[in-house]
Amino acid sequence: MDRRQLLLAGGVGVLAGGLSACGGGTTAEATLADGMQRALSERSSGTSTTSTVLPAATAGAGRVLVLGGGMAGTSVAKYLRLWGNLDVTLVERNSAYTSNIMSSLVLTGQRSLSSLQYKYDTLRSRYGVKTVFDEIVEIDPVGVKVRLRSGTVLSADRIVLAPGIAFDPVPGLDDPKLMPHAWQAGPQTTLLAQQLAAMPAGGVVVLTIPKTPYRCPPGPYERACLIADWLKARKPGSKLIVLDANPDIVTEVDNFSQAFYGLHANVIDYRKGVEISSVDTRTRTLFTNFGAVQGNVVNLIPPQRAGALVAAAGLANATQGRFAAVDVLSYASTIAPKVHVIGDASGTTQPKAGHIANQEAKVCADAIVRLFGGGQPDPAPVTNSACYSTITMSQASWLTAVFQYDGANRVMTPVAKSSAASVGWNKDNFEQMSTWFNALMADTFA
Amino acid sequence: MHHQSSHRALASLGLALACFAGTADAQTPPSGRLLASNCFQCHGTNGKGPGFDSLAGKSASELYSELKEFQSGKEGQGIMAKHAMGYTDAQLRALADWLSKQR
Repeated sequence: MDRRQLLLAGGVGVLAGGLSACGGGTTAEATLADGMQRALSERSSGTSTTSTVLPAATAGAGRVLVLGGGMAGTSVAKYLRLWGNLDVTLVERNSAYTSNIMSSLVLTGQRSLSSLQYKYDTLRSRYGVKTVFDEIVEIDPVGVKVRLRSGTVLSADRIVLAPGIAFDPVPGLDDPKLMPHAWQAGPQTTLLAQQLAAMPAGGVVVLTIPKTPYRCPPGPYERACLIADWLKARKPGSKLIVLDANPDIVTEVDNFSQAFYGLHANVIDYRKGVEISSVDTRTRTLFTNFGAVQGNVVNLIPPQRAGALVAAAGLANATQGRFAAVDVLSYASTIAPKVHVIGDASGTTQPKAGHIANQEAKVCADAIVRLFGGGQPDPAPVTNSACYSTITMSQASWLTAVFQYDGANRVMTPVAKSSAASVGWNKDNFEQMSTWFNALMADTFA
Repeated sequence: MHHQSSHRALASLGLALACFAGTADAQTPPSGRLLASNCFQCHGTNGKGPGFDSLAGKSASELYSELKEFQSGKEGQGIMAKHAMGYTDAQLRALADWLSKQR
C-alpha cells in the first residue's frame, strides 16, 4: 500500500474541498451512482481502528432498535456494539447517507454530492450492527415495537430514535423544487446548484434563515458567505439578499458580521427580523413582515421541528411541541423511558449539529449499556461541538464549545471559556476542515 | 496540529486487534472512556485516527501535560486551547489515563 492508498483507505483529506458545518439526521432522499458508491465504500471501510468483527451478542442479550441512520443514529448503533454485548438493529429508509456537512460546497461546484455519501457496510461487517432498509410507519413507545412499511414488526427492549428534522409547511410553496431548501443534502442540493449555475450574471439570490432552533446554527451564514464569494467570481454584479427571521446573527457573530458588512458587503444585503408569511413560486416572491422580496433563485430554509416520527409517537413535548424533551444523562424521553431521542430531534441546550450528535450518541450508548447491566447512567457526562465555517471558497473559521452537566438544572451547560470562535479566517482552517470532516465521518461510519 | 503519521496508524492496527476482543462485552464502562470519547470525532475512534494527531498509547502524563498547556493558553488561543478549557483537571487526568491504555 503506498501512502496515497493508505490515505484513501483511512478517509483522510482525499478531496481538497471542504465546507459546511453541521451534519444532521437521516432523511437524505438520495440515490447514487454505483461507481461513486464503490469509491465511497472503499474509503469508509478501509483501515482505522478496529478491523475485526465483534462477537455477536450472546443469547438473552439486550435488544436495541435504532431508528434513523444519520450522524446520531449511526454513531449510537456503532458505539452500542463497540461498548456493549447487545443486539443492535439499525432501521433506515435509504441504503446510503448523504452528509449535510460540506454540502454547501456542492453549490459552488467544489465538491460532488457523491463524495458525501456513506454506506452502512462497515457498521455491519466490523461492528455487527444489523441493518433493515425500510420505512417506519408506526412506533409503539410503551410496547417498544416498530411497524415497517413492508408489514414487518420489530420489537426490542429499548428504542433509540434519531429521525433528524422536518420542515414546517410554507403557505404557497406548492412545489418545493422551485424554492429549494437544500438543508437535507440530496436532490435538493443538486437542484439549488443547478438553479444557481443557470442564473444570469447580475441576478438576485435570496437565502432565508429560520428562527432558532434549527439544524446547524452557523450553516446558513457560512452558506451565504460561500455563495457570495462564488457570485463575485462567477456571476459578476449579482446580489445575495439574506432574510434572517432571528433578531440578529445567531452564532459566530464577530466573523459573520465582518464577512457580511466587510468582505462581502458589495454582494450581501443582510436583513434581520424578517419572517416569511407566504410565497409565490411562480414569480419567485417571498411575502414578509417587511414587504415582498423577489429573486432569480430562492434558497428557502423553512422553520424546523423533529422528524415526523417524534410527534407521531407522542414524544414532541419540548420547544412548543417541536422537539422531544429528554433526560440528558441517557437521552431517554421524559414521556417514554424506554425510548431515547438523540441528535437534531431532541430539544436540549445543545446545538443541532452532526459533531455533537455523535457525542450525544456516545453518552446515550454508554447509558444504555450501563442500564442493561443494572447500573445508572454516568452522572457527569460531557459533550462537545466543533466545526468549521467557510467564509470564502478557500478560507474558513472555526467554532467550538464544551458542555458540562448541570445537575441542579438537569441540563448541559456550555463552559464559557470553551465557547469560542477563531479570530478571523484563513486557508489553514479550510484545510483542517477536511481533516475534521473525514475524522468525524470515520468515527461515525467506519 | 498535524496529521497523524500513516506509518504509526498502520503499526497500531495489529495492536488494536489484540486488545479489542477483551473489552467488547464489558457492561461496566471503564473509567474515563466516555470522557475520552469526546476526542474521537477529531482524533479517531479510541484515539487511533484517522484525523488530527493520534492519541492512543501516548503516556498519560504526556497527554495530560499537553492538555494543561493548551488549557493555560501558552499554546495560543486555537481550537484545541479553547477545547481544553472546557474540562476540569480531574476530567483531563481521567481521559488521558484511559487514552494511554489504548494500544
